[in-house]
Amino acid sequence: MARRNTIRFGDYIQAMSIDSQKIPFQELMPEPLFDRHGKEHPQPVPKMKLGGGDVLKILQPYLSTRFIDQARAVVPLALYLALFQYLVLQTPVMDASIIAGGLFAVMIGLMMFMEGLKLGLMPFGEIIGNTLPRKLPLPGVLCIAFLLGIGVTFAEPAIGALQVAGSIVDPEKAPYLFTLLNDRSGATVLLVGLGVGLAAVLGTVRFLRGWSLKPMIFMSVLPTLILSVIAFMDPELTKIVGLAWDCGAVTTGPVTVPLVLALGIGVASAAGKGADSSLSGFGIVTLASVFPILGVLLLSFYTAYTVPPELIIEKAAEIKLAAQSAASQPQWFEATPWTEVILGVRAIVPLVIFLAVVLLVILREKLKNAFITYYGIILAVVGMCIFNIGLTYGLAKLGDQSGGLIAGAFTSIDAITASPLYSMTVGVGIAGLFAWVLGLSATLAEPALNALGMTVQNLTNGAFKKSMLMFAVAFGVATGIMLGVLKLIYGFHIMYILIPGYTLGLILTLLSTEEFVNVGWDSAGVTTGPVTVPLVLAMGLGFGNALGSTDGFGILAAASICPIVAVLTLGIYVQFKIKLEERRVAREGEME
Amino acid sequence: MKRSFTTLTEATLITAVVQHGYGEIITDALLEVGIQGSTVHGAMGVGIRERLGALGVAVDAERDVVNVMVSSDEVDRVFERVFLAGKLDTPGMGFMYATPLMQAATYVPPSILSKYSGT
Repeated sequence: MARRNTIRFGDYIQAMSIDSQKIPFQELMPEPLFDRHGKEHPQPVPKMKLGGGDVLKILQPYLSTRFIDQARAVVPLALYLALFQYLVLQTPVMDASIIAGGLFAVMIGLMMFMEGLKLGLMPFGEIIGNTLPRKLPLPGVLCIAFLLGIGVTFAEPAIGALQVAGSIVDPEKAPYLFTLLNDRSGATVLLVGLGVGLAAVLGTVRFLRGWSLKPMIFMSVLPTLILSVIAFMDPELTKIVGLAWDCGAVTTGPVTVPLVLALGIGVASAAGKGADSSLSGFGIVTLASVFPILGVLLLSFYTAYTVPPELIIEKAAEIKLAAQSAASQPQWFEATPWTEVILGVRAIVPLVIFLAVVLLVILREKLKNAFITYYGIILAVVGMCIFNIGLTYGLAKLGDQSGGLIAGAFTSIDAITASPLYSMTVGVGIAGLFAWVLGLSATLAEPALNALGMTVQNLTNGAFKKSMLMFAVAFGVATGIMLGVLKLIYGFHIMYILIPGYTLGLILTLLSTEEFVNVGWDSAGVTTGPVTVPLVLAMGLGFGNALGSTDGFGILAAASICPIVAVLTLGIYVQFKIKLEERRVAREGEME
Repeated sequence: MKRSFTTLTEATLITAVVQHGYGEIITDALLEVGIQGSTVHGAMGVGIRERLGALGVAVDAERDVVNVMVSSDEVDRVFERVFLAGKLDTPGMGFMYATPLMQAATYVPPSILSKYSGT
């Protein structure tokens, strides 16, 4: 009788599919180590030895996912601008290779910066937020919150865009605007930082006391509006208003929001106030985008009071002359990679030192994973430097160029020989549509908006859908940017957008519930990230310059108020719908 | 109405602990082979960063834990599928195991119940 061979079918399948073998786990585990008293002592941690292939396998997904996150925000916008320029304006992108390199630097820089922020700065924020309120009395905590607010402002990547934008301003036309962005740019950023610091303090107190956001909005927005009107009346200061309101949108970025929130939430939860309100965390962003406006306005009043405009024009000419003589032989720190590196280091290092002092000296805490934190800090600094280079050569250059060219659609400019390309109505329509689509796509690509959408959906138990909020905000931003562009074309003042916009916003605030007020006012600050801000700022300035307008600021300001109005309106509609539904259910209940 | 329940036997639980983000990749791969009802929850992993040294920064300490119940006959097939989908042949990615289950129960459609009611 023939012998029958049997193989388990499972074994057969396994042998056919992948190489597999079995090792008893016991053989991999090290023998326990005992000292001479028979006590077990800790095992040494052996370092794993990896081949090149394995190193690549670990790094590849780590790098690619983080790079793709940034590319998703930058590439579609850049393609849109380039295609629009090529197809509609019939002009190829100038210096395309420099801009492409710059945009690549923006993506690499942001990728490194965000990872560095997560690994290097956030642990500080979390430890400080959790332990500080327990170790220091409230005034001390608020003091540190205030200083943190100033520190994070300097570390915000989009702040660099203001300095870049400043170099485009003409000192003859707007002397105060020039001085605030050039020789006094440090003071401007400091005032913005003071505003954010004040917002951090007030926001934290609000968490603790459970104050409503509504009166705070009225108390901060109304004085700001009144001051703006006063500035608007002054023939020189009227050019500052656009910049001041733009500063509000610039401040609330990827550094400020998480770090300030970590501290605020830490304080609230230490006082036992954290868990009962799902709204904790909102409100600081709103205040942090209003107070800086106030700060910049006050600084401009002070400057106007102390320095006559003639002096600034003189000084600007001097600076220009000095720059021209230095252009042949620039100082090493004025040459391209070094200015950006110095800016990057100056932005991050003070914040890190401040956080480290708070942690080590005041709290006497140790960092748990020091190596990873150092790595994160280095990554953040290097990323910031690369981002700054990309900002100058990629985002600002591209925005400036398309802004300058879009004017060719309806008026005659030097860059396009055949301009005006279209009739006035069609051309203005094209420019408006261009701005609208730009705003919509840039906002929808912003990762912070996605997160806000999720929060809102959870907060309203699904009544306010995530997609609905995202679309409302994007629609608002798009409309705002379009209004800003129209403002430049027709040359009316930004106040004509801001006053009706904020009045409407304040009226809607009175009518809305606390939840929607929080979400609506925060949505404006959240949506303007480190890619959108420089691009839109530069586009506005380039556009303004091509039209001979005095200032190209104000587009971001218009883009801040419109989403507030859009979200609040939608919020009232959703509430109305819920109320109708409740009434219907109640009536059906009665009928039964 | 008298309620009853049916116990399922010969079931195995496959658990994979993978880097954050891979949980969804695994559940998608499982759906492709018709395995439904996976559970994913978050966890923190400890230890691998220390062993990898400088490369440890590339490994996310945040973990997804995927639990899925399969019939014991299918264990090898699904186990391999999860291994490949989760890229578990990468250092620091995670680990997985299969546990035999003594009892399991869930909703069983009446059409299926009627087949077994006779025996």
